[in-house]
Amino acid sequence: MGVVLVVAALSSMGLLSLVAPLLERFLGRNAGYLLAAGFIAVAVLLGLQAPTVLAGQPETASWPWIPALGVSFSLRLDGLASLFCLLVLGVGALIMAYCPRYLPHGGRHGYIYFLLTLFGGAMLGLVLAADLVLLVVFWEITTVLSFLLISAAGSQGAAPAARALLVTGMGGLALLGAVVLLAVITGTTDLTSVLAARQQVLASPLAPAVAALIMIAAFTKSAQVPFNFWLPGAMVAITPVSAYLHAATLVKAGIYLLLRFSTLFAGQPGWSLTLIAVGLITAVLGAAQALREHDLKALLAYSTVSQLGLLVAAIGVGTTVALAAAILYTFAHALFKATLFMLVGIIDREAGSRDIRKLSGLMRVMPVTATLTGLAGLSLAGIPPLIGFVGKESLFQGFARASAFPGAGVVTGAFAVLASVLTFAYGIRIFYGAFAGPTLQRRLYEPSWVFLAPAAVAAVAGLVLGPAVAILNPLMREAIVNVEPGSVPPHFKLWHGLTPELLMSAVTIACGLGLFVFRDRVDHGLSRLPHLGGQALFDRLYTSTFRLGAVVARSAHVSSPWTYLARPVAGLVLLGGVGAGTLGRLPATAGQRSQPLDWALLVLLAAAVAGLVRARSVLSAAALVGVTGLIVTTWFLLAGAPDVALTLLLAEVLTAMVVAFVLRGLPRSFPRPRRPGTFAAGVLAVLAGLAAAGGVLALTGRRGVSPTGEFFLREALPQAGGRNVVNTILVDFRALDTLGEVSVLGAAAMGIMLLLGGLDRADSERLVAPYRFVLGPAYRVLAPVTAAVSVYLFVRGHNEPGGGFSASLVAGIATGFGYLAGRPGTAPRWRGPGPLIAAGLLTCAGVGFAATMAGKPFLAHFSVPLPSGLSVSSTILFDLGVYLLVLGLMVTAVTRLASEDDQR
Amino acid sequence: MTAAIAVGILVAGGVFLILRPGLARITVGFILLGHAVNILLIAADGAGRRGAPLTGEGDLARMADPLPQAFVLTAIVISFGITVYLLALVRASRRTGKPDSDPDDPGPSQ
Repeated sequence: MGVVLVVAALSSMGLLSLVAPLLERFLGRNAGYLLAAGFIAVAVLLGLQAPTVLAGQPETASWPWIPALGVSFSLRLDGLASLFCLLVLGVGALIMAYCPRYLPHGGRHGYIYFLLTLFGGAMLGLVLAADLVLLVVFWEITTVLSFLLISAAGSQGAAPAARALLVTGMGGLALLGAVVLLAVITGTTDLTSVLAARQQVLASPLAPAVAALIMIAAFTKSAQVPFNFWLPGAMVAITPVSAYLHAATLVKAGIYLLLRFSTLFAGQPGWSLTLIAVGLITAVLGAAQALREHDLKALLAYSTVSQLGLLVAAIGVGTTVALAAAILYTFAHALFKATLFMLVGIIDREAGSRDIRKLSGLMRVMPVTATLTGLAGLSLAGIPPLIGFVGKESLFQGFARASAFPGAGVVTGAFAVLASVLTFAYGIRIFYGAFAGPTLQRRLYEPSWVFLAPAAVAAVAGLVLGPAVAILNPLMREAIVNVEPGSVPPHFKLWHGLTPELLMSAVTIACGLGLFVFRDRVDHGLSRLPHLGGQALFDRLYTSTFRLGAVVARSAHVSSPWTYLARPVAGLVLLGGVGAGTLGRLPATAGQRSQPLDWALLVLLAAAVAGLVRARSVLSAAALVGVTGLIVTTWFLLAGAPDVALTLLLAEVLTAMVVAFVLRGLPRSFPRPRRPGTFAAGVLAVLAGLAAAGGVLALTGRRGVSPTGEFFLREALPQAGGRNVVNTILVDFRALDTLGEVSVLGAAAMGIMLLLGGLDRADSERLVAPYRFVLGPAYRVLAPVTAAVSVYLFVRGHNEPGGGFSASLVAGIATGFGYLAGRPGTAPRWRGPGPLIAAGLLTCAGVGFAATMAGKPFLAHFSVPLPSGLSVSSTILFDLGVYLLVLGLMVTAVTRLASEDDQR
Repeated sequence: MTAAIAVGILVAGGVFLILRPGLARITVGFILLGHAVNILLIAADGAGRRGAPLTGEGDLARMADPLPQAFVLTAIVISFGITVYLLALVRASRRTGKPDSDPDDPGPSQ
C-alpha cells in the first residue's frame, strides 16, 4: 500500500506537468490554482505514509532498471526525504498559487507552469531516489530545468542561464564521479546499502576523492564560494522561479546531498574542515554582499548564498546537535525566504521598484504587505519568537559545541555570530523599510488578498511554528536518525533557558542593531570592499575555451575542401601501403569471381568516371552520374542482388530528379580549379584508387558464404515466413539495424528542412508549379499507376524483390513527378514530411515495443490476429514504418529543393 | 578482380572530385565513393555465387550471400539521403550568397 502511494506521488507529479500546459490553455494563468491543489494532493498522498515513516519504517519501492549493472529504479521515503518532500510540495503549492496573480494577464504561461511542475517532480525524485544512479539522473534533470527556467527570462537570461548550467552541470559530473567511485568501493548502487557500508567506504583509499566530489557537487548546487556567482545571476528569472528554485528547493539539493552523505563522512577531518571553512566564508562574504545590495532581489540572492553557507558549515561540524540544527534551519529558511521573494515580487508589481530604499513607509499604504514583509524579515534576522530564531538558536548551539578541531567551538561560533550580525543588519533594514520612515510612494495600494494569500500563509507559518516548533519534532527526529543512525536527537523548543546560545543571539542582535544605527558609515565602509568574485574568473575561462575551440577548428574552416579532405585520403593511402608491406600470404580465392560481362561493364564504368572527372558543365555531370548509377545497378543485378539493383535504380531516378531541381539554381559550369592543385589531387586520387583496389583484391573473395549468410538463407522461410531473404533480414532478423538506419534518414530529412526553411512551412501551397502541358496530362495517367506499383512492390516485398524501401522510392518518384507536372490547384497535397517521418518512426518503434509488451525481445517477430481469421505479421507493420519514413525523406527532398527554387 | 578494379576506378574518380573546389563537384564525388563502398560490400559476400537469394526459386547452394545485400540496400537509401543533404547544402550556400566554390576564397573563419 505504502509503496504504491510513493510511486503514485512521483508519477502524478510527472502527469501534472504534462497536463499543466493543457490546463493553462483553458484556464489561462489561473491554472496555477489547480496545480497548487495538485501539489497539495501529492503532499497528502505522501502524508498518508507519515505514521509508518515517523515510526522509523521507511517505505521503499524498487524495479530492476539496468539489471546488468545492478542499477534499479528504487524510491525510498524516510524521515529526511519526507522533510524535503514537505518543502518541495508545500513551497511548490504556495508558488503555484502565487503565480496566477503574478504572471501578467493574457500571454502564454503554459511553458512556465510545465517547467515549474516538472521541476517539483524532479526534486521529489531527487530526495526519494534510493539508487545512486537514479539520484544523479534526477540531479541532472533539476540542473537542466533550472537552465530552462532561467533562460525563459528572454535574452537577458541567456548568459546567466548558461553560467548556471555550466557550473551546476560540472557539479553533476562530480556527483557522477562520486557515484561511480562509491559503486566501485561497495559493489552496489543502492543508496541504503552504500550508506550502511561506512567502515568499508572509509577504509578505501578512494574515500577522500568521493568526499571531495560530493562536496564539489553540493557547493555548485548550493552556490558556495567559489561557485557562488551563478545564483545572483539567476535572479533574472521571474520571481516565482527565483522563490521556488533559488530560495527554497533547488539550492537545497546540495544541502540534502551533504546531509545524506554525512552518514558516511560526518566527523572525518577533511570533510568537516572543508565544509566548515567554505560554509563560514560563504556565510560571512554573502551576508556582507547582501548588506551592500539595494535591489531587494539581489539582496535576497546573496542572503540565500550566505544562509546556505551557515547550513553547510553546520553540516561540517557534524555533531548530532549541529546536524539537527541544519535540518531545522533548512526548513525555517525555506519558509521565510520563499515569503520574502513572493513579497518582493508583489512590491515590484505594485510599486514598480525593488529598491530597498524606496520601501520606506510602506506600512501606511500597504499595511498587510508591510506586516508580512516585516515578519519574514524578523524571521531572517533571528528575532524571537519566529521560527528563524529557533533555527538560528539551534545553529549557534551546534557551532558553540563544535569539536572538529581544538577551539572549534569558539572559532565557528564567532564566525557564525559575525555572519548572523550582518544578516540581522539587512533583515532589520527590510523590517525598518516596511514599517518606518517617510512614505515615499503614496499612490500605492494593497494588492488583492488572493495575491497576498500564499505569502501570508508562509509568513504566518513562520510565526506560529516558532512557539509551536514542538510539532515538527517527530519529523525532525526521524530525519536526524536517518542522517545519523543511532543518535539521540535533541528536542527543539522556543525557550532553552539562559544558555550560551542565548548570549550569542543577544550579541548578534546588539551588534546588528549597531550596524543598523550606523548604517551610513557601514555602507561607506562596505563600498570599499571588493565584490564577491568568481564570475570574472569563470567568464575568462568561458571565453578562452571558445578561443581554444576556434584555434582547433581553424584548419577546417577553409572553403577549399582540399585542406581537410586530403588528410584522411592520404591516411587511407598510407594504410594501403602499410597493408601491402605487412599482409604476407593470403588464402586462395574461392570460386569463380569474374565473368565476361563484368569486364564489359568495367570498360563502361571507366569511361563514365573519366567523363565525370573531366566534366565542365554541370548538366553533363548530372547525366554521367545517372549513367554511372545505371552501370553499378547492372553490376548488382549480375552479382545476384535484384533487390539491391531495384533500390539503386529507383534511387538513381530520384537523384536525377532532385539534381534537376537543384540545377536550375546553379551556374551552368563548375568553377575552374587551379592547375597545381589539380595535379596533386590527381596523384592522390590515383594512389587512393590503387590502395582501394588492392585492398578489395586482397581482402575479399577468399572464403565461402558466411555462416550468418547461410543461416539466413536456410531460416528465412521457416523463421520469418518470407522467401525474399534480403527483405527478411531487413525487417525481421536485423530489424534493429534497419531502425537505426531509417532514423538516420529521418535526421537527414530534418537537417534539410532546417537548411531550407522551417519545419512549419506549408508545403502544399507553395508546391504549385506552372502547369506543364505535356507532363501534366502524363502525370494524371501515371500517378495512379505509380501508386499501384508502389503498393504492389510493398506487398510482394517479403517474398519477391521489393519491400518498403523500393516501394517508398517509387512513391517518392511520383511525388517528384507530380511536382514537375505542376498541376495548378490539384498538385498533390502531400501531408508535410514531418508527420510522415514521425509516423514512420513511431510505427517502427511501436512494433518493437509491442513485442516487448508481449514478453518477447524488442522487435521480435509476432502476428496480430484479425477478426476475419487472417493475421498480420509484425514485419509487414515494421516495413510500413520504413516505407513512411523513407517517403518522408523523399517528400522532404522533392518539396524543399523544388519549392525553394520557385520562390526566387 | 573486376570488383576490385571497379572499386579502384570509382575511388580514384570520387577522391579526385571531392578534392576539387565546389560543393556540387564534391557531391558527385561522394556519390561515386558511395558506389565504391557498396560494390566492396557485395564483393565481400564470399564464393562468388550469383543466384538471387529468393528461396523457393532454386538451389540454396548457388545463392549469393544475403547479408551484404541487406547492408547495401539500406546503404543506398542512406547514400541518397546524404546526396540530397549535400544538394540542400549546395542550395543553401547559394541562397546565403556565400561562395562555396571560389578557390581563392580564404574561408569564413579568417
